Amino acid sequence: MHARDFGRRLAFVLVLGGCHEKASAPAPGASPAATTSTAGGGPVAAGERKLVIGVSQCNLGEPWRVQMNADLKTAARKHPNVTLVFKDAQNDSLRQRAQVEELAAAHVDVLVISPKEAAPLTKPVAEVFHQKIPVIVLDRAVDGDEFTTFVGADNQRIGREAGKLVRELAGARANIVELEGLMTSTPGQDRHKGFREGLDLANHPGLELVFEADMAWLEPNARKEMESALAAHRKIDVVYAHNDPGAHGAYLAAKAAGREHEMKFVGIDALPQEGVRYVKDGILDATFAYPTGGAEAIALALELAAGKTVPHHVTLGTRLYTKANVDQGGEAIQ
Amino acid sequence: MRPFVPLVAVLVFGCVLNANGAFFEWQTHRAVLREISVGGILASGMTVVIVSGGIDLAVGSVLALSAVSFAWLTLLHGLPGFFALPLVLLVGAAAGALSGVLVAWPRMQPFIVTLAMMVFARGLAKELSGGQKISTYVQDPSGAFRSVPLPAVFEALDGRVLGGNVSVVTLVFLGSAFVTWVILERLRVGRYLFAVGGNFEAARLSGVPVHFTLIFAYVLSGICAALAGICQAAQETHGDPETGLGYELDAIAMVVLGGTSLMGGRGGVALTVIGALTLGYLEKVLSLNAYSSELRLMLTGVILVLAVLFQRRFGRESA
Repeated sequence: MHARDFGRRLAFVLVLGGCHEKASAPAPGASPAATTSTAGGGPVAAGERKLVIGVSQCNLGEPWRVQMNADLKTAARKHPNVTLVFKDAQNDSLRQRAQVEELAAAHVDVLVISPKEAAPLTKPVAEVFHQKIPVIVLDRAVDGDEFTTFVGADNQRIGREAGKLVRELAGARANIVELEGLMTSTPGQDRHKGFREGLDLANHPGLELVFEADMAWLEPNARKEMESALAAHRKIDVVYAHNDPGAHGAYLAAKAAGREHEMKFVGIDALPQEGVRYVKDGILDATFAYPTGGAEAIALALELAAGKTVPHHVTLGTRLYTKANVDQGGEAIQ
Repeated sequence: MRPFVPLVAVLVFGCVLNANGAFFEWQTHRAVLREISVGGILASGMTVVIVSGGIDLAVGSVLALSAVSFAWLTLLHGLPGFFALPLVLLVGAAAGALSGVLVAWPRMQPFIVTLAMMVFARGLAKELSGGQKISTYVQDPSGAFRSVPLPAVFEALDGRVLGGNVSVVTLVFLGSAFVTWVILERLRVGRYLFAVGGNFEAARLSGVPVHFTLIFAYVLSGICAALAGICQAAQETHGDPETGLGYELDAIAMVVLGGTSLMGGRGGVALTVIGALTLGYLEKVLSLNAYSSELRLMLTGVILVLAVLFQRRFGRESA
């Protein structure tokens, strides 16, 4: 879901102005190349000194990224000395690059960036890193290792867990439907690849993948594709969608056909007001969390500001939510 | 008969590639009629604007704004459907009126005006919803979540009538197409629309109230977009500020595929219904056979061009 590229929309993006909440004015005339040592220098106890964290978000057009910013805010609220400065690049790599340079020019103490794509943002991020501003890369990677730490979840692993669960739900003989996220995006490819590994069709001849279609992460598309699957197949046992809106769309299609009790629905993302609630309401049978890493990023930023060293790579785990465990907050999968 | 040729071709295509007979089942056709409804409602309004010589790029965003407004009123504030419906239609009409006034008096290019409205309405939809979907799981000012039951108006709009054979949104689509037909073919303002689209100066000199006519076209398109937004919200069971991205292009394709001229002054909404059916069936055939999305995009492009080429070649009035 995190490379949702609404190509058609890009044609119109040129008229969008940059907008960001709480934008701090960059120091006029400050050269991006100027070497400063605001942070990452001597050990400073967090909680005493004011700490400005710049957050460069690649796009706020998806609920998941809105959630990431909300998680960052919630975590930062517990530390009164922390100020967050958000910038939204509106799905434009070059705009994001400019915003990274603005944040560096404004001498933020830590940069948190969730890049739109690796190649165009690797160099700007490296430049900030060489200005001795610690850089925390969230969710999507940049190339090389010129950043302080990367925090992200593993889509392929989550896909694999989903595959195993679908196999358990399916039993010995079953017809399975897969509704895919944008298959030109890495998350879509990973959630697909992991799912097939977990499902392991080669060793389970009773399972058949009867229908797969790309619904580009969009609920109305998922509903349309599911209607086709329902028309073409008299028996469907499990539906796996690469995100919860997709699984919800599939459920609505099955419900309209009066067949929602015949099959089980599994999704990914588990946003509190979306997937988790669908599980609570009995719409989905299971969903896997795709954590935003917002809280972890703030914790790492505080450690970095205190002069501690942090791991170069942090992989976030997932949580499985089912009807049985949803009220206890799901179950962590290590 | 010309507009029927691409549709018939697509239907034949469906009979051949019938996905184990799925194409011959009524539920497949019922599904097509449901799936084209939101786009078809947009296209009905779009036909009027295109006949007047303009274009309305804002319909996808006004749809999202209306879906969010509808969910905001009914789910978040518990307003009954019969009260929320006219209010949301008013939101669409206001957005259309604003575009219409800017096209009519400063004579700004419809493309630019509606492009600006497209961006503005999307922003307003996001602002109103806080960037999140407004669903039946609502957040109180205190931050706690609570579930509200799905209002009856959502169930009703996403339901089916006539023994479960026709979706309600399909009837809404046919209703909007019919009203648009009456306006274009039976009312005086319809003749004004064709006149303004054919030749603005000539229409003005012969006493056509050109400003009123232009504003009327965009208001109607705005109302259609609001109606489509309400249907979208009902079918998704929430108001999504990101919904309807790119729908304006689908609506334009339906209008053009029917044979209405993008230059203005020629066309009709009956043709648009045919265009909507052609696109809807094409998508359904490709989807039933579970072709890869790459192939589907390429085939859709090729078939669109062939359909329009065919109409130009064999048409008395070239599109």
